[in-house]
Amino acid sequence: MLAFFAKRLALTLPTFLALMFVTFFAIRLVPGDPVEVRVGERGISPERLAQFRHELGLDQPVWKQFLDYVGGILHGDFGTSVVTNEKVLTEFLTLFPATLELGLCAMIFAIIVGVFFGVIAAVNRGSFFDHTLMGLSVAGFSMPIFWWGLLLIMLVAGQWGLTPVSGRIDLIRFYFEPVTGFMLIDSWLSGQKGAFSSALSHLILPTIVLGTVPLATIARMTRSSMLEVLSEDYVRTARAKGLGTLRVIGLHALRNALIPVVTIVGIQIGTIMAGAVLTETIFSWPGVGKWLIEAIGRRDYPALQGGILLISGLVIFVNLLVDLLYGLINPRIRHGN
Amino acid sequence: MRKFQRNMFYGAAMALALAVSAAAEAKTLVYCSEGSPENFTPAVNTTGTSFDAARPVYDQLTLFERGTTNVIPGLAESWTIEQNGTLITLKLRKGVKFHANFKPTRDFNADDVLWTLNRQWKGDHPFAKISGGKYDYFADMDMAKLLKSVEKVDDYTLKITLNEPNAPIMANLAMDFMTIHSAEYAETLTKLGKLELMDQQPIGTGPFSFVAYQKDAVIRYKKNADYWGEKALVDDLVYAITPDPTARYAKLKAGECHFMIAPRPADLPEMQKDPALKVISQSGLNIAYWAFNTQKPPFDKKQVRQAMNMAIDKQAIIRDVFLGAGQVAKNLIPPTLWSYNDAVKDYAYDPEKAKALLKEAGVTTPLEIDLWYMPVQRPYNPNAKRIAEIMQADLAKVGINAKLITYEWGEYRKRAQQGEHTTAQLGWTGDNGDPDNFFFLRGCSGARAGGQNITKWCNKEYDDLLVKARGIADQAERAKLYSQMQLIDKEEAPDLKIAHSIVYEAMRKEVEGYKQGPLGAHHFKGVDLK
Repeated sequence: MLAFFAKRLALTLPTFLALMFVTFFAIRLVPGDPVEVRVGERGISPERLAQFRHELGLDQPVWKQFLDYVGGILHGDFGTSVVTNEKVLTEFLTLFPATLELGLCAMIFAIIVGVFFGVIAAVNRGSFFDHTLMGLSVAGFSMPIFWWGLLLIMLVAGQWGLTPVSGRIDLIRFYFEPVTGFMLIDSWLSGQKGAFSSALSHLILPTIVLGTVPLATIARMTRSSMLEVLSEDYVRTARAKGLGTLRVIGLHALRNALIPVVTIVGIQIGTIMAGAVLTETIFSWPGVGKWLIEAIGRRDYPALQGGILLISGLVIFVNLLVDLLYGLINPRIRHGN
Repeated sequence: MRKFQRNMFYGAAMALALAVSAAAEAKTLVYCSEGSPENFTPAVNTTGTSFDAARPVYDQLTLFERGTTNVIPGLAESWTIEQNGTLITLKLRKGVKFHANFKPTRDFNADDVLWTLNRQWKGDHPFAKISGGKYDYFADMDMAKLLKSVEKVDDYTLKITLNEPNAPIMANLAMDFMTIHSAEYAETLTKLGKLELMDQQPIGTGPFSFVAYQKDAVIRYKKNADYWGEKALVDDLVYAITPDPTARYAKLKAGECHFMIAPRPADLPEMQKDPALKVISQSGLNIAYWAFNTQKPPFDKKQVRQAMNMAIDKQAIIRDVFLGAGQVAKNLIPPTLWSYNDAVKDYAYDPEKAKALLKEAGVTTPLEIDLWYMPVQRPYNPNAKRIAEIMQADLAKVGINAKLITYEWGEYRKRAQQGEHTTAQLGWTGDNGDPDNFFFLRGCSGARAGGQNITKWCNKEYDDLLVKARGIADQAERAKLYSQMQLIDKEEAPDLKIAHSIVYEAMRKEVEGYKQGPLGAHHFKGVDLK
């Protein structure tokens, strides 16, 4: 098991290096640099332009900029935003709890609903339920997040008034100092009546929007995995023993069917992070996704590089954990080792 | 230091909590803004988003009267201009308090003005390099070139000596970059070794004091009960940062905010029908134009430039590209700006006459020209490429084949300023509501290679009037000169003036007293909720 862990860990290193390389150069391929984006119609004198470029280190050869950047990261320094002059890591850590809160809620929503739908579809294979749920899952999987988010805002929040439109809490009624950065926890800690339910209601729409794609994937995966398991001998044996359907499905079939689903959940972390970029923009959710979008517009190289690297690092780390978890829960792998 | 920050926060929070409990009916105005500020010091920023975030907290020496570009007294209660416009003596307002978020021991005085100016002007100022230290507006308004000296005569008198007469300077002093900071607050932060807080936890003299900011989420302010001028009518002001215009509209409809910035043109008809909302509009302080390089044939000939003006159907551009959020421009300045000459007669769309004029000028058709268009959307131009295509079709009708060209935005401006184009689209957004801030665009000093007059047109009569107007303090006198300049400009036609955009703002019916300003600023001090 330890060797397996060491091997997986060693594999992440080249991934990180490649990531650093790609983000660094991809950003520089986009026309316009932070100074040019800042300057408007008035233009800028060549001296001032040269001075700004020098201050930002943009007058250095690109390879040197890259080496400085890698050197900085090795020292734990992700650079300073050229727009806000704040440390990239500080900004990231300030905003990340919001993304994590939304991502976790979306993931929990996707797992619970996805597994439930997948099991229902598998158990009723070929039925109307099965066809409808799987049809919906294809739709969910291919749904453009932007469109889906705006549709829900206009219908659920705007037309029917069932949920708030955007943001994390009712700004008129509640005000408290963020303690953990997680609005659900902070609103609970604030002790203000109604704050927690306000925070919860603000999470509904973004959770659904961000959770839709993983939900669809998990539902399809659960269904096919369940179908496979349901045809196994031990399930037939369990049935033959006279066990109830719920017990057979819940205890015998689902437990084994969930093993490949765990891997899919790990991969979905990446989908969630990618989806967060759009979801946060639509729902005015102050997380790292929205921050990155703004950084692109302003060509804030350090924020973009650092932000992408930190998020990717997180995705890699979660996938590593899932791999390890998979090794733990899958007896074939465990005993194989 | 953390303790200091925390104390500041709790102080503000407690005050807010007390205010809320004291007045159960405390009024909170929520403004759905479009983004996060870079920080709260306008001098180091260039975006309207950042300026709007600082505006509730600060004042300037002079102010723009709400809803206009008229310059009125601010922290300077009066001023005299002498020695042919080169010596300005400012009398500062007494008894003005800085916000009590830190413990100020004195009122506002001349030291605060000097601190503010010197930070941008003198490289050795202890705060010069804080928050990036780029003072774009101070540089762009040529302040370093204009200012000879600024002297403190006494605590409430300042003498500003200029290198040359410059009437617009009083408007410059009302601009956001001239927001007055507290020198005493700077001292406190210096002692604490936390200089950057100057720009992150703003202390000013404005109608609202800063309470808290959560990046990308919310900015909170509360009413400054000690404000020297017209006091705020709401108790709390909240900026709910909402970047998506559809979400802003939905929030406005749901009552989650009272006022929103920049509605989508497509949403306007529905908004205007909604009895719970009201929509106001005003032409923006900007101009989109199509510049002819007057140093390159055949655009060195006046008739050719006039023919171009007759060949383009501007109404079609307004209809198809601006989708109603624009108006045809005939002068460089928009009609909301003083000195606008409405007597100027624009060239009518007349392809036949255009052809005749081209023939008269000796131009043989088909004529091949370059037509540059910006690769980006600008406040004055929603789609330069689409405009270029419409122009291309119109030009074909008079025998001109226009080749559409664009470059990356930074490169585009650089090349156009070098004069590499034959014709190019560009535009301008006004800074300070002074006509000079528009007319200088066609001045001779900008016509050099690399200068911002991309028509490269240098007309002595026009330029003399431009320079003369700068030296006159009397607005009516200056307006006469500017009226004349607009006539010269129309006759000489160095460009085709396409449009001024129309800026819309939407709010709930209960919002009262909001005045839309031509400068695009959002001020909430005279705004109430009924």
